[in-house]
Amino acid sequence: MSAQKVQAGATDGWQRGGAQAVRRRIVERLVSVLCCIATVVVLFLLFSILWTLVTRGAAGLSLSTFLHSTAAPGSGGGLANAIVGSCEQTLLAALLGTPIGMLTGVYLSEFSHDGKIVSFVRFVSDMMLSVPSILVGLFVYLMVVEPAGHFSGMAGTLALAILFIPIVVRTTEDMLHLVPRAMREAAYALGAPGWRVIVSICLRAARGGIMTGILLALARISGETAPLLFTSLGNLNWSTNLNAPMASLPVIIYQYAGSAYDDWVQMAWTGALLITVAVLATNIFARWWLSRNGTASS
Amino acid sequence: MNTVLMGNRPAQAQSAPAIAIRNLDFWYGENHALRGISLDFPTRQVTGMIGPSGCGKSTLLRILNRMYDLYPGQRAMGEVLFDGRNILSPGIDVNVLRSRIGMVFQKPTPFPMSIYDNIAFGVRLHERLSRAEMDQRVENVLRRVALWGEVKDRLNASAAALSGGQQQRLCIARTIATRPEIILLDEPTSALDPISTARIEELLDELKQEFSIAIVTHNLQQAARCADRVAFFYMGELVEVDTADKMFTAPHEKRTQDYITGRFG
Repeated sequence: MSAQKVQAGATDGWQRGGAQAVRRRIVERLVSVLCCIATVVVLFLLFSILWTLVTRGAAGLSLSTFLHSTAAPGSGGGLANAIVGSCEQTLLAALLGTPIGMLTGVYLSEFSHDGKIVSFVRFVSDMMLSVPSILVGLFVYLMVVEPAGHFSGMAGTLALAILFIPIVVRTTEDMLHLVPRAMREAAYALGAPGWRVIVSICLRAARGGIMTGILLALARISGETAPLLFTSLGNLNWSTNLNAPMASLPVIIYQYAGSAYDDWVQMAWTGALLITVAVLATNIFARWWLSRNGTASS
Repeated sequence: MNTVLMGNRPAQAQSAPAIAIRNLDFWYGENHALRGISLDFPTRQVTGMIGPSGCGKSTLLRILNRMYDLYPGQRAMGEVLFDGRNILSPGIDVNVLRSRIGMVFQKPTPFPMSIYDNIAFGVRLHERLSRAEMDQRVENVLRRVALWGEVKDRLNASAAALSGGQQQRLCIARTIATRPEIILLDEPTSALDPISTARIEELLDELKQEFSIAIVTHNLQQAARCADRVAFFYMGELVEVDTADKMFTAPHEKRTQDYITGRFG
Protein backbone atom coordinates (compact mmCIF):
# COMPACT_ATOMS: atom_id res chain seq x y z
CA MET A 1 0.00 0.00 0.00
CA SER A 2 1.40 3.38 -0.99
CA ALA A 3 1.62 6.32 1.38
CA GLN A 4 -0.80 8.32 -0.80
CA LYS A 5 -3.49 5.71 -0.49
CA VAL A 6 -3.20 5.68 3.28
CA GLN A 7 -3.51 9.46 3.39
CA ALA A 8 -6.60 9.48 1.17
CA GLY A 9 -8.30 6.85 3.31
CA ALA A 10 -7.58 8.79 6.48
CA THR A 11 -9.11 11.98 5.13
CA ASP A 12 -12.42 10.22 4.40
CA GLY A 13 -12.42 8.64 7.83
CA TRP A 14 -12.15 11.97 9.66
CA GLN A 15 -15.41 13.17 8.05
CA ARG A 16 -17.31 10.48 9.93
CA GLY A 17 -20.26 11.58 12.06
CA GLY A 18 -21.02 14.90 10.33
CA ALA A 19 -23.60 17.03 12.17
CA GLN A 20 -23.83 14.56 15.03
CA ALA A 21 -20.15 14.99 15.78
CA VAL A 22 -20.49 18.77 15.77
CA ARG A 23 -23.41 18.59 18.21
CA ARG A 24 -21.42 16.29 20.47
CA ARG A 25 -18.58 18.76 20.62
CA ILE A 26 -20.96 21.62 21.49
CA VAL A 27 -22.65 19.64 24.26
CA GLU A 28 -19.28 18.67 25.67
CA ARG A 29 -18.11 22.28 25.74
CA LEU A 30 -21.41 23.39 27.33
CA VAL A 31 -21.25 20.82 30.12
CA SER A 32 -17.67 21.66 31.02
CA VAL A 33 -18.48 25.38 31.14
CA LEU A 34 -21.44 24.70 33.46
CA CYS A 35 -19.23 22.60 35.73
CA CYS A 36 -16.68 25.40 35.93
CA ILE A 37 -19.34 27.99 36.80
CA ALA A 38 -20.75 25.78 39.56
CA THR A 39 -17.28 25.26 41.00
CA VAL A 40 -16.57 28.99 40.99
CA VAL A 41 -19.87 29.71 42.78
CA VAL A 42 -19.13 27.15 45.49
CA LEU A 43 -15.57 28.35 45.97
CA PHE A 44 -16.74 31.98 46.08
CA LEU A 45 -19.26 31.21 48.83
CA LEU A 46 -16.71 29.23 50.80
CA PHE A 47 -14.03 31.87 50.60
CA SER A 48 -16.39 34.73 51.35
CA ILE A 49 -17.43 32.94 54.54
CA LEU A 50 -13.81 32.37 55.47
CA TRP A 51 -12.87 35.94 54.57
CA THR A 52 -15.67 37.43 56.69
CA LEU A 53 -14.72 35.18 59.58
CA VAL A 54 -11.05 36.02 59.43
CA THR A 55 -11.44 39.79 59.02
CA ARG A 56 -14.15 40.16 61.68
CA GLY A 57 -12.84 37.50 64.02
CA ALA A 58 -9.18 38.45 63.97
CA ALA A 59 -10.00 41.99 65.09
CA GLY A 60 -10.98 40.74 68.54
CA LEU A 61 -8.21 38.22 68.84
CA SER A 62 -5.66 38.95 71.55
CA LEU A 63 -3.85 37.25 74.36
CA SER A 64 -6.66 38.02 76.77
CA THR A 65 -9.04 35.99 74.60
CA PHE A 66 -7.21 32.93 75.85
CA LEU A 67 -6.43 34.16 79.36
CA HIS A 68 -9.68 35.65 80.64
CA SER A 69 -13.16 34.27 81.06
CA THR A 70 -16.25 35.90 79.64
CA ALA A 71 -17.21 39.13 81.36
CA ALA A 72 -20.04 41.67 81.45
CA PRO A 73 -20.45 43.93 78.42
CA GLY A 74 -17.90 46.72 78.30
CA SER A 75 -15.52 45.15 80.79
CA GLY A 76 -13.22 43.25 78.42
CA GLY A 77 -12.77 39.60 79.26
CA GLY A 78 -11.99 36.67 76.97
CA LEU A 79 -13.15 33.25 75.95
CA ALA A 80 -10.92 31.08 78.14
CA ASN A 81 -13.83 29.42 79.95
CA ALA A 82 -15.58 28.63 76.66
CA ILE A 83 -12.40 27.32 75.01
CA VAL A 84 -11.61 25.03 77.93
CA GLY A 85 -15.26 23.98 78.26
CA SER A 86 -15.46 23.12 74.57
CA CYS A 87 -12.22 21.17 74.65
CA GLU A 88 -13.20 19.30 77.79
CA GLN A 89 -16.65 18.31 76.57
CA THR A 90 -15.56 17.43 73.03
CA LEU A 91 -12.55 15.37 74.04
CA LEU A 92 -14.43 13.53 76.79
CA ALA A 93 -17.23 12.79 74.33
CA ALA A 94 -14.67 11.40 71.89
CA LEU A 95 -13.04 9.36 74.64
CA LEU A 96 -16.43 7.95 75.59
CA GLY A 97 -17.67 7.45 72.05
CA THR A 98 -14.60 6.00 70.33
CA PRO A 99 -14.51 2.58 72.05
CA ILE A 100 -18.30 2.18 71.89
CA GLY A 101 -18.42 3.25 68.25
CA MET A 102 -15.47 1.13 67.19
CA LEU A 103 -16.71 -1.99 68.95
CA THR A 104 -20.15 -1.59 67.40
CA GLY A 105 -18.55 -1.09 63.97
CA VAL A 106 -16.49 -4.25 64.46
CA TYR A 107 -19.64 -6.11 65.47
CA LEU A 108 -21.51 -4.95 62.37
CA SER A 109 -18.68 -5.80 60.02
CA GLU A 110 -17.24 -8.98 61.48
CA PHE A 111 -20.25 -10.72 63.00
CA SER A 112 -22.55 -10.19 60.07
CA HIS A 113 -23.87 -13.74 60.10
CA ASP A 114 -26.22 -12.73 62.92
CA GLY A 115 -28.34 -11.40 60.02
CA LYS A 116 -31.35 -9.77 61.68
CA ILE A 117 -29.69 -8.27 64.75
CA VAL A 118 -26.91 -6.81 62.63
CA SER A 119 -29.24 -5.15 60.16
CA PHE A 120 -31.34 -3.80 63.03
CA VAL A 121 -28.30 -2.32 64.79
CA ARG A 122 -27.08 -0.86 61.49
CA PHE A 123 -30.50 0.66 60.85
CA VAL A 124 -30.62 2.28 64.29
CA SER A 125 -27.07 3.57 63.97
CA ASP A 126 -27.77 5.06 60.54
CA MET A 127 -30.91 6.68 61.89
CA MET A 128 -28.90 8.24 64.73
CA LEU A 129 -26.59 9.72 62.08
CA SER A 130 -29.43 11.83 60.74
CA VAL A 131 -31.29 12.65 63.96
CA PRO A 132 -31.48 16.45 64.39
CA SER A 133 -28.96 17.32 67.06
CA ILE A 134 -31.48 19.37 69.03
CA LEU A 135 -33.45 16.16 69.64
CA VAL A 136 -30.34 14.62 71.18
CA GLY A 137 -30.12 17.65 73.45
CA LEU A 138 -33.75 17.27 74.49
CA PHE A 139 -33.26 13.56 75.11
CA VAL A 140 -30.30 14.12 77.41
CA TYR A 141 -32.19 16.94 79.10
CA LEU A 142 -35.01 14.55 79.95
CA MET A 143 -32.76 11.66 80.93
CA VAL A 144 -30.00 13.47 82.84
CA VAL A 145 -30.61 17.15 83.46
CA GLU A 146 -34.15 16.92 84.76
CA PRO A 147 -33.56 14.01 87.17
CA ALA A 148 -30.38 15.70 88.44
CA GLY A 149 -32.12 19.01 88.79
CA HIS A 150 -29.34 21.07 87.16
CA PHE A 151 -27.44 21.55 83.92
CA SER A 152 -23.97 20.02 83.76
CA GLY A 153 -20.90 19.55 81.61
CA MET A 154 -21.44 15.82 81.97
CA ALA A 155 -24.82 16.10 80.28
CA GLY A 156 -23.26 18.11 77.46
CA THR A 157 -20.54 15.51 77.06
CA LEU A 158 -23.15 12.77 76.88
CA ALA A 159 -25.14 14.60 74.20
CA LEU A 160 -22.00 15.11 72.10
CA ALA A 161 -21.02 11.44 72.55
CA ILE A 162 -24.44 10.36 71.24
CA LEU A 163 -23.76 12.39 68.09
CA PHE A 164 -20.20 11.10 67.90
CA ILE A 165 -20.87 7.36 68.14
CA PRO A 166 -22.85 6.70 64.93
CA ILE A 167 -20.21 8.45 62.81
CA VAL A 168 -17.50 6.20 64.24
CA VAL A 169 -19.72 3.13 63.85
CA ARG A 170 -20.23 3.89 60.18
CA THR A 171 -16.58 4.62 59.34
CA THR A 172 -15.32 1.62 61.30
CA GLU A 173 -17.73 -0.68 59.51
CA ASP A 174 -16.99 0.81 56.08
CA MET A 175 -13.23 0.67 56.57
CA LEU A 176 -13.36 -2.94 57.79
CA HIS A 177 -15.39 -3.88 54.72
CA LEU A 178 -12.50 -2.60 52.60
CA VAL A 179 -10.10 -5.11 54.15
CA PRO A 180 -9.82 -7.85 51.50
CA ARG A 181 -11.34 -11.20 52.38
CA ALA A 182 -8.12 -12.86 51.22
CA MET A 183 -6.17 -11.04 53.94
CA ARG A 184 -8.50 -12.33 56.67
CA GLU A 185 -8.35 -15.84 55.24
CA ALA A 186 -4.57 -15.70 55.12
CA ALA A 187 -4.51 -14.84 58.83
CA TYR A 188 -6.97 -17.61 59.68
CA ALA A 189 -4.90 -20.00 57.56
CA LEU A 190 -1.92 -19.42 59.88
CA GLY A 191 -4.05 -20.65 62.77
CA ALA A 192 -5.01 -17.27 64.20
CA PRO A 193 -8.18 -17.19 66.33
CA GLY A 194 -10.96 -14.82 65.27
CA TRP A 195 -10.28 -12.05 67.78
CA ARG A 196 -6.64 -12.02 66.77
CA VAL A 197 -7.52 -11.66 63.09
CA ILE A 198 -9.81 -8.73 63.90
CA VAL A 199 -7.39 -6.92 66.21
CA SER A 200 -4.02 -7.62 64.59
CA ILE A 201 -5.01 -7.75 60.93
CA CYS A 202 -8.36 -6.11 60.16
CA LEU A 203 -8.30 -3.15 62.55
CA ARG A 204 -4.66 -2.65 61.76
CA ALA A 205 -5.31 -2.59 58.03
CA ALA A 206 -8.21 -0.19 58.54
CA ARG A 207 -6.54 2.05 61.14
CA GLY A 208 -5.89 4.96 58.80
CA GLY A 209 -9.51 5.20 57.76
CA ILE A 210 -10.90 4.69 61.25
CA MET A 211 -8.60 7.36 62.66
CA THR A 212 -9.78 9.74 59.96
CA GLY A 213 -13.39 8.97 60.85
CA ILE A 214 -12.72 9.72 64.51
CA LEU A 215 -11.07 13.04 63.68
CA LEU A 216 -13.90 14.04 61.34
CA ALA A 217 -16.46 13.13 64.00
CA LEU A 218 -14.49 15.25 66.46
CA ALA A 219 -14.61 18.16 64.04
CA ARG A 220 -18.34 17.67 63.62
CA ILE A 221 -19.23 17.71 67.34
CA SER A 222 -16.93 20.59 68.17
CA GLY A 223 -19.27 22.92 66.31
CA GLU A 224 -22.54 21.60 67.73
CA THR A 225 -24.67 24.15 69.59
CA ALA A 226 -28.16 22.70 69.86
CA PRO A 227 -27.35 19.65 71.98
CA LEU A 228 -25.47 21.84 74.47
CA LEU A 229 -28.24 24.41 74.99
CA PHE A 230 -30.33 22.11 77.20
CA THR A 231 -27.48 20.17 78.71
CA SER A 232 -24.38 22.11 79.70
CA LEU A 233 -26.23 25.42 79.24
CA GLY A 234 -23.19 27.67 79.40
CA ASN A 235 -21.35 29.30 82.25
CA LEU A 236 -20.12 32.86 82.49
CA ASN A 237 -17.33 31.91 84.87
CA TRP A 238 -14.34 29.66 84.68
CA SER A 239 -15.37 26.07 85.48
CA THR A 240 -14.01 22.66 84.68
CA ASN A 241 -16.46 20.90 86.97
CA LEU A 242 -18.40 18.30 84.98
CA ASN A 243 -21.17 18.38 87.56
CA ALA A 244 -21.89 22.06 86.99
CA PRO A 245 -23.00 24.08 83.95
CA MET A 246 -20.10 24.51 81.54
CA ALA A 247 -19.31 27.13 78.92
CA SER A 248 -18.60 26.26 75.31
CA LEU A 249 -17.71 28.22 72.18
CA PRO A 250 -20.83 27.41 70.12
CA VAL A 251 -23.16 28.41 72.95
CA ILE A 252 -21.21 31.64 73.57
CA ILE A 253 -21.49 32.44 69.87
CA TYR A 254 -25.22 31.78 70.00
CA GLN A 255 -25.70 34.03 73.04
CA TYR A 256 -23.31 36.83 72.11
CA ALA A 257 -23.97 37.16 68.41
CA GLY A 258 -27.57 38.18 69.03
CA SER A 259 -26.79 40.60 71.86
CA ALA A 260 -26.99 44.37 71.67
CA TYR A 261 -23.40 44.98 72.82
CA ASP A 262 -20.70 45.56 70.21
CA ASP A 263 -17.93 43.91 72.23
CA TRP A 264 -20.03 40.77 72.74
CA VAL A 265 -20.76 40.56 69.00
CA GLN A 266 -17.05 40.96 68.38
CA MET A 267 -16.38 38.15 70.86
CA ALA A 268 -18.82 35.90 68.99
CA TRP A 269 -16.92 36.46 65.73
CA THR A 270 -13.67 35.63 67.44
CA GLY A 271 -15.16 32.45 68.89
CA ALA A 272 -16.44 31.45 65.45
CA LEU A 273 -12.99 31.99 63.98
CA LEU A 274 -11.42 29.83 66.70
CA ILE A 275 -13.82 26.93 66.04
CA THR A 276 -13.35 27.16 62.30
CA VAL A 277 -9.58 27.14 62.58
CA ALA A 278 -9.68 24.17 64.98
CA VAL A 279 -12.04 22.20 62.71
CA LEU A 280 -10.00 23.07 59.62
CA ALA A 281 -6.80 22.00 61.36
CA THR A 282 -8.40 18.71 62.43
CA ASN A 283 -9.62 18.03 58.90
CA ILE A 284 -6.26 18.77 57.34
CA PHE A 285 -4.53 16.62 59.92
CA ALA A 286 -7.01 13.78 59.24
CA ARG A 287 -6.34 13.92 55.51
CA TRP A 288 -2.62 14.06 56.01
CA TRP A 289 -2.85 11.11 58.39
CA LEU A 290 -4.88 9.09 55.88
CA SER A 291 -2.50 9.78 53.02
CA ARG A 292 0.44 8.79 55.18
CA ASN A 293 -1.02 5.63 56.66
CA GLY A 294 -2.81 4.57 53.53
CA THR A 295 -6.18 2.95 53.07
CA ALA A 296 -7.25 -0.54 54.03
CA SER A 297 -5.64 -2.37 51.17
CA SER A 298 -2.09 -1.15 51.45
CA MET B 1 -16.17 -43.91 39.02
CA ASN B 2 -13.40 -42.50 41.16
CA THR B 3 -10.41 -44.32 39.90
CA VAL B 4 -8.18 -44.13 42.93
CA LEU B 5 -5.32 -46.41 42.19
CA MET B 6 -2.95 -46.78 45.06
CA GLY B 7 0.26 -48.53 45.81
CA ASN B 8 1.05 -49.80 42.36
CA ARG B 9 2.68 -46.76 40.85
CA PRO B 10 6.47 -46.63 40.80
CA ALA B 11 6.70 -42.89 41.51
CA GLN B 12 4.44 -43.14 44.51
CA ALA B 13 5.60 -42.82 48.08
CA GLN B 14 5.98 -46.07 49.94
CA SER B 15 5.05 -44.58 53.31
CA ALA B 16 1.53 -43.75 54.51
CA PRO B 17 -0.04 -40.76 52.76
CA ALA B 18 0.14 -37.36 54.47
CA ILE B 19 -3.57 -36.92 53.98
CA ALA B 20 -6.10 -39.56 53.00
CA ILE B 21 -9.53 -38.43 51.84
CA ARG B 22 -12.32 -41.00 51.98
CA ASN B 23 -15.82 -40.55 50.51
CA LEU B 24 -15.86 -36.81 50.92
CA ASP B 25 -18.96 -34.80 50.04
CA PHE B 26 -19.25 -31.04 50.26
CA TRP B 27 -22.13 -28.57 50.06
CA TYR B 28 -22.34 -24.82 49.57
CA GLY B 29 -25.82 -24.51 51.04
CA GLU B 30 -27.92 -26.60 48.67
CA ASN B 31 -25.21 -26.85 46.05
CA HIS B 32 -23.55 -30.27 46.15
CA ALA B 33 -20.05 -29.17 45.14
CA LEU B 34 -18.00 -32.32 45.74
CA ARG B 35 -19.24 -35.88 45.38
CA GLY B 36 -17.67 -38.98 46.85
CA ILE B 37 -14.04 -37.87 46.64
CA SER B 38 -11.37 -40.35 47.75
CA LEU B 39 -7.80 -39.26 47.24
CA ASP B 40 -4.40 -39.67 48.87
CA PHE B 41 -1.76 -36.98 49.19
CA PRO B 42 1.58 -38.81 49.38
CA THR B 43 4.13 -37.63 51.91
CA ARG B 44 6.79 -35.23 50.60
CA GLN B 45 5.41 -35.15 47.11
CA VAL B 46 3.64 -32.49 45.09
CA THR B 47 0.05 -33.37 44.25
CA GLY B 48 -1.38 -31.18 41.51
CA MET B 49 -5.10 -30.61 41.19
CA ILE B 50 -6.43 -29.57 37.79
CA GLY B 51 -9.80 -29.11 36.17
CA PRO B 52 -12.04 -26.44 34.67
CA SER B 53 -13.30 -23.50 36.77
CA GLY B 54 -15.92 -24.57 39.29
CA CYS B 55 -14.91 -28.21 39.23
CA GLY B 56 -14.29 -28.26 42.99
CA LYS B 57 -10.50 -28.36 43.15
CA SER B 58 -10.17 -25.18 45.22
CA THR B 59 -13.11 -26.30 47.34
CA LEU B 60 -11.26 -29.50 48.14
CA LEU B 61 -8.14 -27.57 49.10
CA ARG B 62 -10.13 -25.34 51.43
CA ILE B 63 -11.56 -28.39 53.19
CA LEU B 64 -8.10 -29.63 54.10
CA ASN B 65 -7.48 -26.73 56.51
CA ARG B 66 -11.16 -26.30 57.41
CA MET B 67 -11.24 -22.87 55.75
CA TYR B 68 -14.91 -23.47 54.94
CA ASP B 69 -15.62 -23.20 58.69
CA LEU B 70 -15.52 -19.44 58.28
CA TYR B 71 -18.64 -19.47 56.17
CA PRO B 72 -21.93 -20.66 57.57
CA GLY B 73 -23.93 -22.85 55.21
CA GLN B 74 -20.88 -24.71 53.96
CA ARG B 75 -20.51 -28.28 55.21
CA ALA B 76 -18.44 -31.36 54.54
CA MET B 77 -19.19 -35.04 55.14
CA GLY B 78 -16.84 -37.97 54.96
CA GLU B 79 -13.33 -38.53 56.22
CA VAL B 80 -10.15 -36.55 55.82
CA LEU B 81 -7.50 -38.47 57.71
CA PHE B 82 -4.44 -36.59 58.88
CA ASP B 83 -2.05 -37.87 61.53
CA GLY B 84 -4.49 -40.52 62.69
CA ARG B 85 -7.55 -38.32 63.06
CA ASN B 86 -10.45 -37.21 60.92
CA ILE B 87 -9.97 -33.45 60.64
CA LEU B 88 -13.67 -32.97 59.89
CA SER B 89 -14.65 -34.18 63.35
CA PRO B 90 -15.84 -31.49 65.76
CA GLY B 91 -13.14 -32.19 68.36
CA ILE B 92 -10.36 -30.89 66.10
CA ASP B 93 -8.73 -27.61 67.17
CA VAL B 94 -8.79 -25.78 63.84
CA ASN B 95 -6.09 -23.32 64.90
CA VAL B 96 -3.67 -26.14 65.61
CA LEU B 97 -4.77 -27.87 62.41
CA ARG B 98 -4.07 -24.74 60.38
CA SER B 99 -0.63 -24.40 61.91
CA ARG B 100 0.11 -27.96 60.75
CA ILE B 101 -1.50 -27.58 57.33
CA GLY B 102 -0.50 -24.20 55.92
CA MET B 103 -2.04 -22.41 52.96
CA VAL B 104 -0.84 -19.99 50.31
CA PHE B 105 -3.44 -18.05 48.32
CA GLN B 106 -3.92 -16.93 44.77
CA LYS B 107 -3.16 -13.28 45.41
CA PRO B 108 -0.24 -12.34 47.63
CA THR B 109 -1.73 -11.09 50.90
CA PRO B 110 0.97 -9.34 52.92
CA PHE B 111 -0.36 -8.22 56.30
CA PRO B 112 -0.29 -4.47 57.03
CA MET B 113 2.93 -4.69 59.01
CA SER B 114 6.66 -5.01 58.52
CA ILE B 115 8.31 -7.83 56.59
CA TYR B 116 9.66 -9.20 59.86
CA ASP B 117 6.30 -9.09 61.61
CA ASN B 118 4.56 -10.73 58.67
CA ILE B 119 6.57 -13.83 59.48
CA ALA B 120 6.63 -13.44 63.25
CA PHE B 121 2.84 -13.03 63.40
CA GLY B 122 2.11 -16.67 62.62
CA VAL B 123 4.97 -18.00 64.73
CA ARG B 124 3.87 -16.02 67.80
CA LEU B 125 0.43 -17.63 67.59
CA HIS B 126 1.84 -21.04 68.35
CA GLU B 127 5.28 -20.69 69.93
CA ARG B 128 7.04 -18.52 72.47
CA LEU B 129 10.42 -17.69 71.07
CA SER B 130 13.11 -15.40 72.41
CA ARG B 131 14.06 -12.42 70.28
CA ALA B 132 17.18 -14.22 69.06
CA GLU B 133 15.29 -17.40 68.21
CA MET B 134 12.68 -15.40 66.33
CA ASP B 135 15.38 -13.51 64.40
CA GLN B 136 16.87 -16.88 63.53
CA ARG B 137 13.51 -18.27 62.39
CA VAL B 138 12.77 -15.23 60.23
CA GLU B 139 16.17 -15.32 58.59
CA ASN B 140 15.92 -19.05 58.07
CA VAL B 141 12.57 -18.99 56.26
CA LEU B 142 13.50 -15.94 54.23
CA ARG B 143 16.59 -17.78 53.05
CA ARG B 144 14.48 -20.82 52.19
CA VAL B 145 12.33 -18.75 49.83
CA ALA B 146 15.37 -16.91 48.43
CA LEU B 147 14.16 -13.56 49.71
CA TRP B 148 16.78 -12.92 52.39
CA GLY B 149 19.26 -11.22 50.10
CA GLU B 150 16.59 -8.86 48.81
CA VAL B 151 15.08 -7.81 52.13
CA LYS B 152 17.69 -8.32 54.84
CA ASP B 153 18.40 -4.60 55.06
CA ARG B 154 14.76 -3.57 55.33
CA LEU B 155 13.10 -6.14 57.55
CA ASN B 156 11.25 -3.35 59.34
CA ALA B 157 9.91 -1.84 56.13
CA SER B 158 6.28 -2.40 55.18
CA ALA B 159 5.66 -5.65 53.33
CA ALA B 160 3.29 -3.80 50.99
CA ALA B 161 6.31 -2.18 49.31
CA LEU B 162 7.56 -5.49 47.92
CA SER B 163 6.82 -6.58 44.35
CA GLY B 164 4.09 -9.13 43.69
CA GLY B 165 6.52 -12.01 43.29
CA GLN B 166 8.40 -11.02 46.44
CA GLN B 167 5.13 -10.73 48.33
CA GLN B 168 4.11 -14.22 47.30
CA ARG B 169 7.48 -15.62 48.39
CA LEU B 170 7.00 -13.77 51.69
CA CYS B 171 3.60 -15.45 52.03
CA ILE B 172 5.24 -18.84 51.49
CA ALA B 173 7.93 -17.96 54.03
CA ARG B 174 5.21 -16.93 56.48
CA THR B 175 3.47 -20.25 55.95
CA ILE B 176 6.53 -22.44 56.46
CA ALA B 177 7.58 -20.39 59.50
CA THR B 178 4.86 -22.06 61.58
CA ARG B 179 6.47 -25.40 60.67
CA PRO B 180 3.54 -27.11 58.97
CA GLU B 181 3.71 -30.64 57.66
CA ILE B 182 1.62 -29.90 54.61
CA ILE B 183 1.39 -26.83 52.39
CA LEU B 184 -1.72 -26.10 50.36
CA LEU B 185 -1.28 -23.75 47.41
CA ASP B 186 -4.32 -22.28 45.67
CA GLU B 187 -3.18 -21.09 42.22
CA PRO B 188 -0.15 -19.43 43.81
CA THR B 189 1.28 -18.02 40.60
CA SER B 190 -1.82 -16.94 38.68
CA ALA B 191 -1.30 -13.30 39.66
CA LEU B 192 2.45 -13.32 38.92
CA ASP B 193 4.65 -12.63 35.92
CA PRO B 194 6.54 -15.51 34.23
CA ILE B 195 9.84 -14.86 36.00
CA SER B 196 8.27 -14.75 39.45
CA THR B 197 6.30 -17.87 38.52
CA ALA B 198 9.46 -19.73 37.58
CA ARG B 199 11.04 -18.81 40.91
CA ILE B 200 8.03 -20.08 42.85
CA GLU B 201 8.07 -23.33 40.87
CA GLU B 202 11.77 -23.83 41.64
CA LEU B 203 10.95 -23.19 45.26
CA LEU B 204 8.25 -25.87 45.28
CA ASP B 205 10.75 -28.40 44.01
CA GLU B 206 12.97 -27.63 46.94
CA LEU B 207 10.21 -27.44 49.55
CA LYS B 208 8.94 -30.91 48.77
CA GLN B 209 12.10 -32.32 50.37
CA GLU B 210 10.52 -31.33 53.65
CA PHE B 211 6.80 -30.75 53.12
CA SER B 212 3.92 -32.54 51.46
CA ILE B 213 2.43 -30.15 48.94
CA ALA B 214 -1.01 -29.87 47.34
CA ILE B 215 -1.30 -27.33 44.55
CA VAL B 216 -4.37 -26.20 42.63
CA THR B 217 -3.49 -24.80 39.24
CA HIS B 218 -5.16 -23.68 36.03
CA ASN B 219 -1.87 -23.95 34.24
CA LEU B 220 -1.42 -27.46 32.87
CA GLN B 221 2.24 -26.89 32.06
CA GLN B 222 2.75 -25.93 35.66
CA ALA B 223 1.08 -29.14 36.83
CA ALA B 224 3.27 -31.12 34.44
CA ARG B 225 6.42 -29.34 35.62
CA CYS B 226 5.83 -29.32 39.36
CA ALA B 227 3.57 -32.17 40.34
CA ASP B 228 4.55 -35.75 41.02
CA ARG B 229 0.94 -36.81 40.88
CA VAL B 230 -1.96 -35.06 39.22
CA ALA B 231 -5.66 -35.32 40.05
CA PHE B 232 -8.24 -34.23 37.49
CA PHE B 233 -11.57 -32.91 38.76
CA TYR B 234 -14.68 -32.35 36.73
CA MET B 235 -18.07 -31.11 37.97
CA GLY B 236 -17.40 -31.98 41.59
CA GLU B 237 -16.02 -35.43 40.92
CA LEU B 238 -12.51 -36.78 40.93
CA VAL B 239 -12.19 -38.23 37.45
CA GLU B 240 -8.69 -39.59 37.56
CA VAL B 241 -5.46 -39.43 39.50
CA ASP B 242 -2.11 -40.69 38.37
CA THR B 243 1.54 -39.72 38.05
CA ALA B 244 2.05 -36.51 36.11
CA ASP B 245 3.77 -38.40 33.28
CA LYS B 246 0.88 -40.79 32.79
CA MET B 247 -1.79 -38.13 33.13
CA PHE B 248 -0.32 -35.98 30.40
CA THR B 249 0.69 -38.76 28.03
CA ALA B 250 -1.76 -41.61 28.50
CA PRO B 251 -4.80 -40.74 30.62
CA HIS B 252 -7.37 -43.49 31.10
CA GLU B 253 -10.48 -41.36 31.01
CA LYS B 254 -11.77 -39.61 27.91
CA ARG B 255 -12.74 -36.52 29.92
CA THR B 256 -9.18 -36.17 31.16
CA GLN B 257 -7.89 -36.44 27.64
CA ASP B 258 -10.38 -33.86 26.38
CA TYR B 259 -9.36 -31.44 29.11
CA ILE B 260 -5.59 -31.72 28.73
CA THR B 261 -5.84 -31.42 24.97
CA GLY B 262 -7.84 -28.23 25.44
CA ARG B 263 -11.17 -29.43 24.15
CA PHE B 264 -13.05 -27.85 27.07
CA GLY B 265 -12.41 -25.89 30.22
